[in-house]
Amino acid sequence: MIDNKTFMIAGLIIAIIIGGLAVFLASGDPDGLESAALFVQGDKTLTGPSPEDGDPEAIGAGTFEYEAPLPDYSTGEEGGKAGEIIAVFAGIIIMFILGFGTSKLIASKKKVA
Amino acid sequence: MHIPDAFVPLWQSAIYWIVALIFVALALRWARNELSEDKIPLIAVLAAGIFAIQAFNLPVAMGTSGHLVGGALAAIVLGSPYAAVFILTLVLIIQGIIFGDGGITTMGANILNMGVIGGFVGFYGYTALKSAGANMYLSAGVAAWLACFIASLAAAVEMAVAGTFPLVPGLIAMGTYHAVIGIIEGVITGAIIYFLAASRPDLLAGEDQQPSGGGVFA
Repeated sequence: MIDNKTFMIAGLIIAIIIGGLAVFLASGDPDGLESAALFVQGDKTLTGPSPEDGDPEAIGAGTFEYEAPLPDYSTGEEGGKAGEIIAVFAGIIIMFILGFGTSKLIASKKKVA
Repeated sequence: MHIPDAFVPLWQSAIYWIVALIFVALALRWARNELSEDKIPLIAVLAAGIFAIQAFNLPVAMGTSGHLVGGALAAIVLGSPYAAVFILTLVLIIQGIIFGDGGITTMGANILNMGVIGGFVGFYGYTALKSAGANMYLSAGVAAWLACFIASLAAAVEMAVAGTFPLVPGLIAMGTYHAVIGIIEGVITGAIIYFLAASRPDLLAGEDQQPSGGGVFA
């Protein structure tokens, strides 16, 4: 049995380790939805490899464009692996604070009510 | 299975957003009623952990990769499908706005698939299997697999309605890839619940038959 503080620190450390490993070890293959998009476009057989330069989103209508500040968990092309680590770690910290903050806010409001 | 903006016409995205927001409102109501101070560490760790593990795409052969979604995990650990809606909504907001993973207009559809469908299939799959006598970790793993698989079929139907994928090839492709990706979902979900049960059994919903504060000698 570990206390709350230890649990949170351990959880955060595990998340950061997973995020760090992801930067170096994650597969570059498209995900399930992108692979399905390549398949229905005829760029890929169902069980065959994905094309190196395939564009899964070519099939979409493209009705809305949004430029994310840290696209694809990176700081952009020139950021390299260091940029990806910064992006993923920033995301993990933001999620931790957001998860803690929103649940704390809701739980504390309840007590007042 | 994060749907990008390009894949759904705006008017359909609006409908998914409305449905998603209804569930988000219900999730907030769940949080107000059920979320106690002692669950805060768990929510924070689940939000950070699910984000981290979603960034880790594992190869699943067939030229495809996949990662844990985590809806079933959140729902089982916190004992409500609305917990999945709550946590996955937070994750999807940050992924969409900051990292461009999943669209902005399609965020409603993504909340619906991964949070709502993933959470409800995961939670009720787990309770059904467990009450049928299956072991807790196996029940969680199988329910998580189902959550991933059914959510992917829902996404395939949405893609067909959007006119982006043809229905049958879309269902076959999404179903095939996510039947394999779901194995990752199932194994990791079962394993995390095993480790939680070992380190903090009091945090697991439904496992607190022992008086609260169990584990303390008194």
